[in-house]
Amino acid sequence: MFTQQLINGLALGAVYALIALGYTMVYGILQLINFAHGEVYMLGAYLGIIIFGMLTALGLPAFSLSLSLLITVLISIAFCSLYGAAIERVAYRPLRNATKLAPLISAVGMSIILQNFIMLSQGKEYKNLPPQLPSEGVIIFDANVSPAQIFILSSSILIMIVLHLFVSRTRLGKAMRATSQDRMMAGLVGININQVISVTFMIGSGLAAVAGVMVTLYYGVVHFFMGYLAGIKAFTAAVLGGIGSIPGAMLGGFMLGLIENFGASYISSVYKDAFAFVVLIVTLLIRPSGLLGRKELDKV
Amino acid sequence: MNRILSLLVMVLLAACSQQDDNVIRIGAAGPMTGDQSKMGIDLRNGVELAVAEWNDKGGLLGEKIVLFPGDDQADPKQAVSVANKFVNQKVHAVVGHWNSNCSINASTYYHAANIVAISPASTNPRLTKQGFKNIFRVCGTDDQQGGVAADFILKRLKPKRVAVIHDKTTYGQGLADYFKKSIEGKVEVVFYDGIQTRDPDYKAILTAIKQKKPEVYFFGGVYPEAGRLVRQAKEVGMRIPMITGDGVYDPTFIGIAGKAAEGTYVTFGKDPSGLPTSKSFNEKYTRKYGAPGPYSIYAYDAANIILTAIGQTGSTDGTKVAEFISKNTFHGAFGETSFDKNGDVSKAPYVMWQVRDGKFVEVQ
Repeated sequence: MFTQQLINGLALGAVYALIALGYTMVYGILQLINFAHGEVYMLGAYLGIIIFGMLTALGLPAFSLSLSLLITVLISIAFCSLYGAAIERVAYRPLRNATKLAPLISAVGMSIILQNFIMLSQGKEYKNLPPQLPSEGVIIFDANVSPAQIFILSSSILIMIVLHLFVSRTRLGKAMRATSQDRMMAGLVGININQVISVTFMIGSGLAAVAGVMVTLYYGVVHFFMGYLAGIKAFTAAVLGGIGSIPGAMLGGFMLGLIENFGASYISSVYKDAFAFVVLIVTLLIRPSGLLGRKELDKV
Repeated sequence: MNRILSLLVMVLLAACSQQDDNVIRIGAAGPMTGDQSKMGIDLRNGVELAVAEWNDKGGLLGEKIVLFPGDDQADPKQAVSVANKFVNQKVHAVVGHWNSNCSINASTYYHAANIVAISPASTNPRLTKQGFKNIFRVCGTDDQQGGVAADFILKRLKPKRVAVIHDKTTYGQGLADYFKKSIEGKVEVVFYDGIQTRDPDYKAILTAIKQKKPEVYFFGGVYPEAGRLVRQAKEVGMRIPMITGDGVYDPTFIGIAGKAAEGTYVTFGKDPSGLPTSKSFNEKYTRKYGAPGPYSIYAYDAANIILTAIGQTGSTDGTKVAEFISKNTFHGAFGETSFDKNGDVSKAPYVMWQVRDGKFVEVQ
């Protein structure tokens, strides 16, 4: 049972981590909690079900399942990145020099708009996708690791490595780090701040899109309200790991998934949502800046 | 300013008095938005069909019948506001609600306002045990349903170990508890716990259940959760059947779970399709709205019972209508219906169904 719960927790945690990265990257650069991020994840999930449905109508999954999954993920990433950049352009950029609370309220408003947009355009019903991958997978000890879990774990770890290399090795990554350290100074040395911020939003939203498609595939159910709970959980993960820190969001996401799974199975499933928040409170009491967070100095 | 205000008040008053007093007002309440919206819409359609038929025959007591839909979003707080709205609109009788906790909360208000309410689907026993003479239901109750499920597994599946889970709602937990009570002492209950509705991931609890090695597990809850449960149960390598209640009897359950739904047992009312009355109901309903939902026929019968009672007593007075309903036997699309002193149906209508080849089939 332990191995099975470990795998379940890691798979769930990978999804949380991917969403948490979007929160943490935006916070790192703008000190803004992007409350509309959970809705971008929901959009990604809807796009997943729509695009996969269209491919099914064309008969592609029967021909090659992995190719159709790849197409689904890529289109969903493209759409969600555009959404992310557009949200930043419309809702946050005009308020960049306003008081700290203004973009926060704008973010909450954006979240409500997106939720209602999907509710009105896609309907209030659960949309479902029958299982695409076989449920029997690799047996490790007594645990059944399903193909969906293998797909989620391997692709999210791969994405995180690529993201880490991008931020630490590339020119644009360096510009992002510079902007997060001191936005004005970065602008003065010739970094195009607006471009860096747009790219940050696009990457964060793209990661949320991947998480959305994975969840569609993994659980088979999407709903316009799903972004709310997932967004809160992922935000918790980002704070747990230290908001603003990229490795922190990954660690926080995996930890949250594991805590929820072990808590639900060894204590009681009734309190599943409570475990995560209890751990969050305890962590913040001991380390106010999160597990891997820098001691935040004067910002906010 | 004052003049404008008084003008406004006059317009408002005129608008109020414009509500036609010479009609029979029938409420239909259920979740018409939100994740259980299909059930509420099925319910409303059933009532609407009955109302349309009576109106085609010239109405009732020489008056037209008007339908007042009320959306409770499957939320007991909303159910109270729907009930208040009905009271203000002077609705004469209500078909609803769908969810047990909604029906129970709203029933206090219907009782206070002396409005007859018949629920087509709320199965929690507490609803009719409050001593309200004007509250009825045309479906069975969870103690009957839990008993039928318990009886079935004791006689047919004969397991030694059983797990029981529920969704923490009045309906789900109530049903799970009645089931548990009926099997305790005869079979070992090795696991008992609740799940969060709307939670996408149930693998933790399923893995914990698998660990206890039950031969069958019971779920008290509704189809969106049940679909995810059986789907994920297969993914953690569980190969035991789920037994569940009437809240899962809907094709959406099979849509979510796919092949994993196969073999699931569901307690539900008898298949009415053999009855000629239900055949004609099905045809009429399908022509207007598409395929009827599991509770459309119950809502249709409930509406007909109310309208018959109003017609026979020649009155819309709640006390008279309730008394007529409790003393008489009605012949509806679903067959014969009569009520006991609580307002429950006299005969427990549950039988066992199973998902086979993507369809619900009555187990013989």
